[in-house]
Amino acid sequence: MVMVKLLLTPENQLQRLNHLLHAVETLKEKDTTTLNHRPNENAWNVLEVLEHLSIAYAMYDKKIETALNQLHTSNEEPWAFRPRFWNRFVIEGQRPKGNKRPFKMKTLKKFEPQLEKELTPAAVENVFENFQKSYSKLKASILVSRNKEMNHKRITSAIGPIVKFHLPEAFEFLICHAERHKIQIDEILSSHKG
Amino acid sequence: MDTAQHTILKNLFKGISLSDAEEKSFIELWKACCFKQNELITEAGRMEKYFYVVLEGVQAIYLINQKGEKVVLGFSYVGSPSGVFDSFLYQKPADTFLEALRPSRMLAISRDDYLNLFDNHPSFHTWAHGFFKEILFGRLSREVELLTLSAEERYIAFMQRCPDELKGIPQKYLASYLNMTPETFSRLRRSILY
Repeated sequence: MVMVKLLLTPENQLQRLNHLLHAVETLKEKDTTTLNHRPNENAWNVLEVLEHLSIAYAMYDKKIETALNQLHTSNEEPWAFRPRFWNRFVIEGQRPKGNKRPFKMKTLKKFEPQLEKELTPAAVENVFENFQKSYSKLKASILVSRNKEMNHKRITSAIGPIVKFHLPEAFEFLICHAERHKIQIDEILSSHKG
Repeated sequence: MDTAQHTILKNLFKGISLSDAEEKSFIELWKACCFKQNELITEAGRMEKYFYVVLEGVQAIYLINQKGEKVVLGFSYVGSPSGVFDSFLYQKPADTFLEALRPSRMLAISRDDYLNLFDNHPSFHTWAHGFFKEILFGRLSREVELLTLSAEERYIAFMQRCPDELKGIPQKYLASYLNMTPETFSRLRRSILY
């Protein structure tokens, strides 16, 4: 079973983040009508999905930074981490399975993107900039973590104290969450074409 | 560029004859770069920007398999070329990582400068024929070893041809390169003289 074997490494996370950053970079070429398109009245458009991802990252930004600053530098090989049962379950709940998003859930109010219904080109640029800034910083944190000893107090997740993450788990959760929403973006775009 | 560096570069590009002026501008195309131990020189998911020649240190090229483990494809060391060639030549995101296993110094040439060499000096085509021929036959003989030799025979064949500087890197990289577990590698190291 994949879940038992789940081994987190910074390299695997960096590779996936690079793909995500690249994929979002290519979205910039889409016209504003496409980016503002909603599959239905209540659904998010691509920009709202991106904004939601920036909000999700922001919940962890300071916590990751604080945890990293407390860690000692290591000259050993970069970390490899196996999450234990409960956190593995939380992470796997986010991870897309192929092109499917299992366990669909309603977004909590604090994660809701607060964008205007139709965005101007300048506002669109701002959404992309926010995303790139957030996830480039996540990437920079993972790179820094490769030279750190991974023994630290767990950080409370944005879900609340019911889930506390080690740094590798927080990184993984954020990446799986973003990969999940990348599939949603693909679905929104294909509904526009169709 | 000092004499030792110049010699390393000349050795790699043996067979190329350039006038003094041409050689001067050829040397000016290379910039020196330093990498710390464990630093990622090229990340999977990003474009390889350079073709490298190694002045110091050992580097590993590897990919991450589906279980999240590193699978080592090869090493570079003093005097050898380095880089993710397919990404460099085809300008597609790299599938592999290139990592400095020891503090490394390298000379780097950009893709544009590398390609211009072929336009400006036809003798580089002859060089490339020999260069890629050597790489191809080297990879073929490795494939034969992997498919036909026992773990013990692979260990002996590799240790007999492997430069000393490579013997000092973490064993798990050598084990992965030889397609065996670190435990098997360690047992062979203890029990086999080559």
